[in-house]
Amino acid sequence: MRSFQDYNPAVIAVYFFCVTGIAMFSSYPPFMAASLFGGVALYLVRNGRKHAKSHFFFLLLFLILAAANPLMSHNGVTVLFIMNDNPITLEALLYGINSAAMIIGVLYWFRSFTQIMTSEKLLYAAGTLSPKLALILSMAIRFVPLFSRQSKRVQDTQTAMGLFRDDNIVDDIRGRMRIFSILVTWGLENGIITADSMAARGYGTGKRSQMKRFRFRRDDIVLLLTSLSLLGITTAATFAGGLTFSFYPAIKYETPGIFGICGIAAYCLLALLPVIIETEVSIKWRYLRSRI
Amino acid sequence: MEILAVEDLSFTYPQCSSPAVRDVSLRLERGEFAVLCGATGSGKSTLLRMLKRELVPNGEMSGRVTFCGSPLGELSPADSASRIGFVMQRPEQQIVTDKVWHELAFGLENLGVPQDEIARRTAETASYFGIINWYGSDTAELSGGQKQLLNLAAVLVMQPELLILDEPTAQLDPIAASDFIATLRRLNQDFGITILLAEHRLEEVIPVCDRLIIMENGGISANGSPREVIASLRERPELLCGMPAASRLYAALDGRGECPLTVREGRDYITSGFRNEIRSLPVPERASSGETALEFRDVFFRYEKNSPDVLSGLSLKIMSGELFCILGGNGSGKTTALSAAAGILRPYCGDIRIFGKKQKNYRNRSLYRECLAMLPQDVQTVFLRNTVREELDEVGADLSALPYDLSHLLDKHPYDLSGGEQQLTALAKVLAAKPKLLLLDEPTKGMDAATKQGIADVLKKLRDSGITVVSVTHDVEFAALCADRCAMFFGGQIVSAGAPEEFFTANTFYTTAVSRMTRGIFDRTAVLSDAVELCRLNGSREV
Repeated sequence: MRSFQDYNPAVIAVYFFCVTGIAMFSSYPPFMAASLFGGVALYLVRNGRKHAKSHFFFLLLFLILAAANPLMSHNGVTVLFIMNDNPITLEALLYGINSAAMIIGVLYWFRSFTQIMTSEKLLYAAGTLSPKLALILSMAIRFVPLFSRQSKRVQDTQTAMGLFRDDNIVDDIRGRMRIFSILVTWGLENGIITADSMAARGYGTGKRSQMKRFRFRRDDIVLLLTSLSLLGITTAATFAGGLTFSFYPAIKYETPGIFGICGIAAYCLLALLPVIIETEVSIKWRYLRSRI
Repeated sequence: MEILAVEDLSFTYPQCSSPAVRDVSLRLERGEFAVLCGATGSGKSTLLRMLKRELVPNGEMSGRVTFCGSPLGELSPADSASRIGFVMQRPEQQIVTDKVWHELAFGLENLGVPQDEIARRTAETASYFGIINWYGSDTAELSGGQKQLLNLAAVLVMQPELLILDEPTAQLDPIAASDFIATLRRLNQDFGITILLAEHRLEEVIPVCDRLIIMENGGISANGSPREVIASLRERPELLCGMPAASRLYAALDGRGECPLTVREGRDYITSGFRNEIRSLPVPERASSGETALEFRDVFFRYEKNSPDVLSGLSLKIMSGELFCILGGNGSGKTTALSAAAGILRPYCGDIRIFGKKQKNYRNRSLYRECLAMLPQDVQTVFLRNTVREELDEVGADLSALPYDLSHLLDKHPYDLSGGEQQLTALAKVLAAKPKLLLLDEPTKGMDAATKQGIADVLKKLRDSGITVVSVTHDVEFAALCADRCAMFFGGQIVSAGAPEEFFTANTFYTTAVSRMTRGIFDRTAVLSDAVELCRLNGSREV
C-alpha cells in the first residue's frame, strides 16, 4: 500500500511523460478535458486546501488565455459579435478554451511533478540513464545553496566593514560586482579541496556503481505497464480510430467508432490513475487504522 | 606489525629553495594512535599528504614510503583509495554530494561496489556513527561538527586500515571537537585502526595517544611516548604552550618524576608536591572609564516569524576601553548578538545603543565610519582582492600603526595565508576604518597555541590604545588569558558576567583546565602563570 508519490521515481517520471506527452502533442478536446481534470484533481487530492490562493491565479490565467485567441484570431464562420470592426467568432473562442485547457492542465501536472520529484528522486531517475550524470547533478545541486549562503555572508561582512559606504545605487552595484568576482575565486578554491576529497576516496579508479535507495516492486511494474499500455491504446486510437476534431472554418468532427471510444476511455483512465491510487490508499488506510 | 614506514623522506615544492619536508623517517605499528604536532608551516600537512598517494603534491621528492610492506606507489588504485583514509581540515569543502546517504555511498560507488553491499555498509556505518537521524538530510543543513563526522564516516565506510587526519577539529567548537576525538579513540580501541592525527588542540588528544611526534621546520624533532616527549620540551616554550595545562605546569616548575598529562594527574602533582598556605594572588586593578561603549536593553530577536527567539531579553553593558569576551555553547545566540550589535540583523524589540546613541540613529551607514567594525567568524569573507597589498591599499590601512608586522605577506593571495595570518590581515583591514568599538567573532578558530597567544597580545595592545574590544569565543583558555571581563551566554541572554578570575573559578564545567586543576587548592586561579606563581610562593612540600 503506497501512495502515488512513493512509487519508484523512474516509474513516476515515465507516467508523467505519458500523460503530459499526449496532452501536449494532441489537441483533441476530450483529451484536454481529461488532462485538465486529472491534473487539477491530483493536485487537490495531494494538497487539500493548502495553496488555495494559487488556484485563483491559474483560473485567471485560464480566462486570459481563453480570451486571447478570439481577440487575435478572426477565423471561423459563426460571428458572435463585432468589436472594433473585428468579428469575434465562436470557433476562435472554443479553440482558445481548448488550448487554455491544454496549457493549464499541463501546468497543473508539472506542479504535482515538482512536488513529488524531489531532487533526490530526479537524481535517481537521471542515474538510471548514467551514474556520472547523477553525480554531476548532485554536486551542482549542492553547490547552489552553498554559493548563495557564502554570498550573503560576504555581503554582511562587507556591509559591516563599510564597503557600501554611501547609500547609493552605483556604490551598491559596484560592491555587488566585486563580491561576485571574489565568490568565483572562492568557488574555485573550494573546488580544489573537493577534488582532493574525491580523489582520496577513489574517484576515477574504475567503473562507478550507484547506490539506489529506490527499488522496483511489483506494483511499480504494474503501474509502469499500465501507463505504457494506456499510452499505446490512446496513441493507436488517435491515428486509427478517427479521433479528429477541427475548429476552423467551422467545427467539424467525426463520431468516434468503438476503437476511438476505447482510446478516449484509456486516456481518461491514464489521467485519473494517480487520483485512483490516492483514493484507494486513503480508504485502505482508514480501514486499517480503524483496527488499530 | 609495522603498517607504515617512512624512510629519509624529503620534499620540495616547485620554485621553493628550501624543502618543506626534510629527511623524515617514521614508523607506525598497526593499531597505534599517533599525534603529529608542530607550529603552522612546520610541514605537517605536506608530510601527511605524502602518505596518501592520491594527494601527493607536485614537487621534488626523495625517500621511500612503505605501506604494509609494499611501496606506496605499487598499491592498486582501489587499494590505495580504500586502505588509507584521509580527512582534511575544512568540513564543508570535503563534502561532495547533496545528501548525507549519497556522501556515505560515494567512496564505495567509486570503487564499483555492488548495490546491495553499498546499502549494507552505509547502513551499518550510519548506525555506528549515530547518523541515522539525519541520514536523509541535505548535507548543506548540517552543523560543522556533523559535517566533519560525516566526512569521517564517509572515509570509514571504505574500511581503511590507516586513518590520516589533518587538523580535523580546527573548524569545530570545543564540544564537537571533543566528541570527534572521542570517536577517533573509540575507532582505535574497537577496531584497531591505526590513526595518524595532526592536531593543535592537544589538551584532550595527548592523554589518549600512544605516540607524540613533533615537527619543526620540516623535520621530526621528537618522536616517542607523550610523557617522554613533553619532558624533553622543557626548554622550548613555543612548543610547550600547546601542551596540556598539567604538563606545562610541570615543565614551568622544573618538575621531577613522571610528567602529568590530565587534569587529575595535575591535581595530584600539585597536592603532593606543594603547600597551599597562600591561596590566592592579589587581584589586579582594572580601570574602566565609566562610559558605555555598547549597551543592549531588553533585546529580542528571531530569524523568522514563527521560529523561537534567539535573543530573548538580552541586557548587557560593555564599558569603553574594555576587552570583553562572550562565551557560550553552540546555538546560544552569541554570534546573533554580535551581528545585531553590528546592525546586520534587526531585533524586533529593544534598544541597542552604541556610545550612548541609539543604533538606528546612526544614519546613512555612519555607524561603520570610525565607530564600529566587525570581524566575522569566516575571515575569508573579508577579502575581495588578489593580494594582501591590494586589500590593505584599498582601505588605506597604515601598516606602521599596527601592533604587528604584515610586511612579509604583502604579495601573497589572501586565501593562501594560514588561519592566523588571515585573521591578522583581516584585522588590519578592519582597523583601517579606525573603529572605536571592535567586534570579533571567534578570532582564534583553527589556530595553534602560539598563534593564539599572539592574537591575545594584539588584542591587549588594541585595548591599551583605547579601542573597546568585544569578542565572542568558544575558547575558554583564550578568554582567561586576555579578557578584562567575561560573560556567559545561554538561552538568548547573559546569565553571568565578571572578571575572569571570578568568572572561571565560579564555573565548574565551563572553565579552563588550570581552574579545574587548582579548584579547592588555590582560589581565583584561571591561568597557568598564576598557578605557577602560587606554587612557587608556597614552596614545595617537604617530604
